[in-house]
Amino acid sequence: MNQFFLQHTQSKELEGFPHILELSIRKYTSIQLGSFCNSVSDAIRIYYILDGKFDWVINDRSYILYPGDLAIVLPGQSLRGARDFMDIGTLSWIHIKVEKFDKPKKLVLGNWSGLPETESNTIGTILQLNSTNVLVNLKDALGLIQSIREELVHQQIGYGTRINHLIDEMLIFIVRQSTHQSNMRRDFPQTFMKLEQTLRQSLSHPWTVEEMAALVGLGTTAFSERVKGYTGFSPLNYLINIRISEAVKLLRQQDNNVTDIALETGFYSSQHFSTTFKKLTGYTPGEFRKRNNQNNNDR
Amino acid sequence: MESIITIELGTNAVRVFAFDMHGNVIGSRKGSYPTFHSEPDYSEQDPEQIFITMLYVLKNLLTEEIHPKKYQIQAICFTASMHSLLAIDSQGVPLGNMITWADNRGKREAQELKRSTLGEVLYHATGTPLHPMSPLVKIAWLNRNDKSRFMRTSKFLSLKSYILHQLTGEYVIDYSLASATGLFNIHTLTWESKALDFVGITTNRLPDLVSVFNTPGKLRREYQTSLGVSASTRIMIGSSDGCMATLGAGVWNEEKATITIEDSGAVRVVGKQVLRDEKQRFFNYLLTENYYVSGGPTNNGGVVFEWFTKQFGDFSGLFDIERTMESLIREASNVSTGSDGLLFLPYLLGERAPLWNANARGSYFGLNIKHERKHFIRATIEGILYEIYSIGKMLEEYRTINSLSLNGSFATIPFCAQLIADIFNKPVSTVSKVNTAGHGAFLLCATDMGVYANLEEAAKSVVIQETITPQKHNHAVYNRYFQIFERLSLKLKDEFEDLTNLQHIE
Repeated sequence: MNQFFLQHTQSKELEGFPHILELSIRKYTSIQLGSFCNSVSDAIRIYYILDGKFDWVINDRSYILYPGDLAIVLPGQSLRGARDFMDIGTLSWIHIKVEKFDKPKKLVLGNWSGLPETESNTIGTILQLNSTNVLVNLKDALGLIQSIREELVHQQIGYGTRINHLIDEMLIFIVRQSTHQSNMRRDFPQTFMKLEQTLRQSLSHPWTVEEMAALVGLGTTAFSERVKGYTGFSPLNYLINIRISEAVKLLRQQDNNVTDIALETGFYSSQHFSTTFKKLTGYTPGEFRKRNNQNNNDR
Repeated sequence: MESIITIELGTNAVRVFAFDMHGNVIGSRKGSYPTFHSEPDYSEQDPEQIFITMLYVLKNLLTEEIHPKKYQIQAICFTASMHSLLAIDSQGVPLGNMITWADNRGKREAQELKRSTLGEVLYHATGTPLHPMSPLVKIAWLNRNDKSRFMRTSKFLSLKSYILHQLTGEYVIDYSLASATGLFNIHTLTWESKALDFVGITTNRLPDLVSVFNTPGKLRREYQTSLGVSASTRIMIGSSDGCMATLGAGVWNEEKATITIEDSGAVRVVGKQVLRDEKQRFFNYLLTENYYVSGGPTNNGGVVFEWFTKQFGDFSGLFDIERTMESLIREASNVSTGSDGLLFLPYLLGERAPLWNANARGSYFGLNIKHERKHFIRATIEGILYEIYSIGKMLEEYRTINSLSLNGSFATIPFCAQLIADIFNKPVSTVSKVNTAGHGAFLLCATDMGVYANLEEAAKSVVIQETITPQKHNHAVYNRYFQIFERLSLKLKDEFEDLTNLQHIE
């Protein structure tokens, strides 16, 4: 494997690609103490192991990486060698600068990317929620890195477009693999329970079917069918179900107002909340609360 | 045209059925809800989510299928899982989630009580085995380990009581469900004062006791409007899922037993007498004031085969657990009776009847060099059914059982049904009703409305789909294996204990 190291500002090849901060294949033949100390990533860093055994700590969790494994470090996450040095072996990596990667799951890659906003946000959501920093046995990732490099070296017609496509493809590939690896495909009930938990934790997020399906690593059609078969509801109706249930709980506490409850449980307005609530229960949220008050006064 | 709606508040889902007055299903829907395990022994569900899910499913069924066909809803009848416990405060607001039958947090309390003389008195008075599943044990646990919640609790309800309060404004529990709380005297039909004293509560902290035919009250007007049903639609409290499954399976004479195997399972008989077992192995639940449903439950039914399928099934094609199970069963059918000497103890989830040992564990026994993967498949199924047989044998110490009625998704798989017939050496029938609990609730309701003269007549109306006869030569083989199965299950008690302790250290 030919070694190379390209770096933004240093390497001529990367001039037209300010979002590629580093691209490299490198062989480490000796241990140098202190060569791999803690650093916090400002980009999406993707590492692929070609040979050797790497003992790393990513985002405060220890991993041992073997050939074929891929590690992804998100902006804001930390990375170091377990003993602060780089182990012996061969490694390939790419660092991709992103415009924005906010905590509430917003990922903006930049103009170079062909991914529409909804898709890049979904990718951001999944990368953050799955919190899988290491994926095992991802041999195809190396091919993508090598293709990027070849395009950079040969600069044939259309190479600019191809390179940016390959980066998008790499991100899509990683996200799909991470959902496949984190969901036991043979156990949909368990997968669904995990999704349920995620939905509850961010109920105010305007979830789409695409996002939910992507989270469990399924296409939207297959996902909708599975959810319907398992729960009896379509994904969005199941979501309404959880939202109303949570709202009922909040309405029983007397100290929060209906608009806040509506937004907190993911309805886009108190009007929307009110209509949905009444359709299902026969009460408006206000009436429901009043009924509970009356119950109390009866006693 | 008239219709009766049944609502089954089950372990994982609510199932709503609409029947015409002849007992034909004219529509059905289900909606599932999750179980939360915040600690390993905890098993809880959100009562609000269950209520909303129920409303949602009911409303969809009515508006999309039943109203367009111009049916008048005469009555809505309920059944629910046994042993649920929900604490509410003086405002009627739930204090935390509902604790399900599968919750094991009260292990210590149950064991202490079981060893005491009071425990024996309570078992015989209430008919409920002393086990963490029992609301008696759960309340005792709350009193000891969650004092502030215990003190703030105005009432201890069953899930069904909570749902009915939402719908009608009344706090009630039927005798049938009450007889599974460990707090209710099945002989006098009142709350058992010794049980109440033990957990430290008085009757005003429990719902009112009523018959299974009771109408707690009218549906609140808002729900009449949202569901599109009239004020005269009757709400009937109904019974428990176990009792209703027995009625729905058409088991109503003393020589018949019903075997239910879904995830978990049970063998049950109906009679006018309680089965008094000094070893405390049975439950005795009230169905109506005159009838008892007695039997034993197992934790390890279809859930164990599902576990096996997930671990060892071939999923190389498209994911589909049902199809994978089917192909495993085909493989198993090519192995000879008794799996060529491989025996399986199915106690993956500990066991209730007949061992009543939460520390029991699973095991494959008798492996030799010629055993293949397919032997494991068949041994797993045989082990699950030997366990069912051991409950049946224990019931036969008290009752003569001449035939069996099967229901539940696992028991009614043809391969399993034949095995059950062979292992028990008794004719086995399966009923055509897919959901026997729902059908039981229909029969209960229709009987009260005068469609059937009494419950015996109602049970007779259940159509038997198919009768499977036992194969004598197979029974002889199974019987020899069962002897070893039974001895092994008892012999390993100490080893189960030691191993479970090791598993808990992890």
